[in-house]
Amino acid sequence: MRTHSRLTAWGLISPWIVGFGLFGLFPFLFSLWISFRDYSPIRAAAPRFVGLDNYAHALHDPAFWSALGTTGLFVVGTIPFTTAIALLLALTVQPAFRGRTLSRVGFFLPSVVSVVVLSLLFKGLYAPAGPLNAVLGSLHLPTPAWLLDPRTSLPAIMAMDVWSASGYYMVIFLAGLQAIPRELYDAAHLEGATSWACLTHITLPLLRPTLLFVLVVNTVRSLQIFAEVFVMTRGGPLHSTTTVVYYLYEEAFYRFNQGYASAVAYLLFLLTLLLAWAQLRLVQQPAPGGSGSGAAT
Amino acid sequence: MSADAPPVPGRPVEPPAAWPASLLRWLWIGPLLLTMMLPFAWMLAVSLSPGSGGSLTRSLAGPLRLDHYRALLGAANIGRYLLNSAAVAAVVVTLNVATAAMAGYVLGRRRVPGERLWTLGIVATLMLPKQVLMVPLYLVMHAFGLLDTYGALILPFAVDAFSIFLVRQYVLALPLELEEAARLDGASDWAIFRTVVLPLMRPVLAVVAIQSFLTNWNSFLFPLIFVDSDRLRTLPVGLALLSQTEHSVDWGFLMAGSTIASLPVLAVFVLFQRHILSGVLAGAEK
Repeated sequence: MRTHSRLTAWGLISPWIVGFGLFGLFPFLFSLWISFRDYSPIRAAAPRFVGLDNYAHALHDPAFWSALGTTGLFVVGTIPFTTAIALLLALTVQPAFRGRTLSRVGFFLPSVVSVVVLSLLFKGLYAPAGPLNAVLGSLHLPTPAWLLDPRTSLPAIMAMDVWSASGYYMVIFLAGLQAIPRELYDAAHLEGATSWACLTHITLPLLRPTLLFVLVVNTVRSLQIFAEVFVMTRGGPLHSTTTVVYYLYEEAFYRFNQGYASAVAYLLFLLTLLLAWAQLRLVQQPAPGGSGSGAAT
Repeated sequence: MSADAPPVPGRPVEPPAAWPASLLRWLWIGPLLLTMMLPFAWMLAVSLSPGSGGSLTRSLAGPLRLDHYRALLGAANIGRYLLNSAAVAAVVVTLNVATAAMAGYVLGRRRVPGERLWTLGIVATLMLPKQVLMVPLYLVMHAFGLLDTYGALILPFAVDAFSIFLVRQYVLALPLELEEAARLDGASDWAIFRTVVLPLMRPVLAVVAIQSFLTNWNSFLFPLIFVDSDRLRTLPVGLALLSQTEHSVDWGFLMAGSTIASLPVLAVFVLFQRHILSGVLAGAEK
């Protein structure tokens, strides 16, 4: 009877174990192995063990550093805006009012649409003779070439990302807001606290775990930006939008340096872990305990 | 935000707000929302513009024609891409729901030795950005002879760590009594799973199915590198590649394709927005 139970349990869980092993753990370890080799499918010779050469190559390659810089700029230039807008939207659509669900659904909408579609859409909006420049022109403002100009190409993609991601993080902030006990606000109002005081002394301190979650998830996601670049600029002009993952893709599938690309992937993975850990340390300072402890924000 | 809460909590019902205050709020939410929606309105307007040329800056209130949709279905393989996307999504969602139900149940009830280790494995997979596996997964697919087949579009995505984790969390919060009663009645483990547990898991499986559909329908990077033949392309990949070849400035054509690619997700979103938002919330609780 017990062995039978065990067998059923293993039977139920085995598809996941097989899938995880074949398409998760094995590739993960395998890529570590090839990152130490000069692996390339278009070379006749068998791949040789090259030790840390691939990693050294990456760290000495200006193209890698440029891609890293572009990705860093993207992260630093989008996350503060996305987070602030998402928080403001959440505070706006949290209280009960007529049509609240409609507004939440509207702001979330870009999150369910394919990134390819969003990218095509913005490529059209940003076209030199497109609607954005038509509006700017009629207001007598400068009309840059947006995606075709290396000075504006990255900011243009960043603006699209802020537009499309804010609604998603708004919903996560809503979850955090919902978890704050109503009694805290009732007590504060009894003692004559203003709305502003409630915001800075109750809402924001208690939202800290949610803020941390939003920062970490958005950082990890932003380090992976790829489809936007592929569709809108293919890394150009003049590599101004080549992110690490796009660089990785080109190295692996255009130049077929797959050993080198694996090393770059591992560096990106380590960087992701490091940043997530740093944010955890930074935001997870002593959490304000209990109710109105008057924690500074 | 307790970790063991079921992903679909019943929200306390609040009394509806008064009209005047709501209208006041809409005075500034309205314009904001309209600005957010403007790009989509433009997409639709361009896709419905008549003929070719000059459609980029058309006004939102011009004449509406289906020319571009006709061109789309006549010229490119959009129909084929659409079918591929639908078939792959259907299979992946089914496999995902099935494997998540089974594994999530076992892990939620701690029915296998090393349950903690397995759960840790799942959480680790959640943290791992998939793009890091771009090269090795490609090589694994190559070794299995799966490159450029439907198998490459389906198998690596048939099991999803996040789905399993959602089900596990949900099962942890389910009461044990029903299963114990069934066991006393002499039901086998499999029978208990099928007739007692599965119906109880329906809400979380709905969330899993919807999430899985949205992710799969919109997935781009792996279908792009795993498949070479035009006849196997999914809609996002087909659209992205069309936009870089013969149709690069045919905005009516591209926006019509974009609209068609968005309609299924929009339909699912409108129908199931409650499930989708609760899926995001469940993700925030992990």
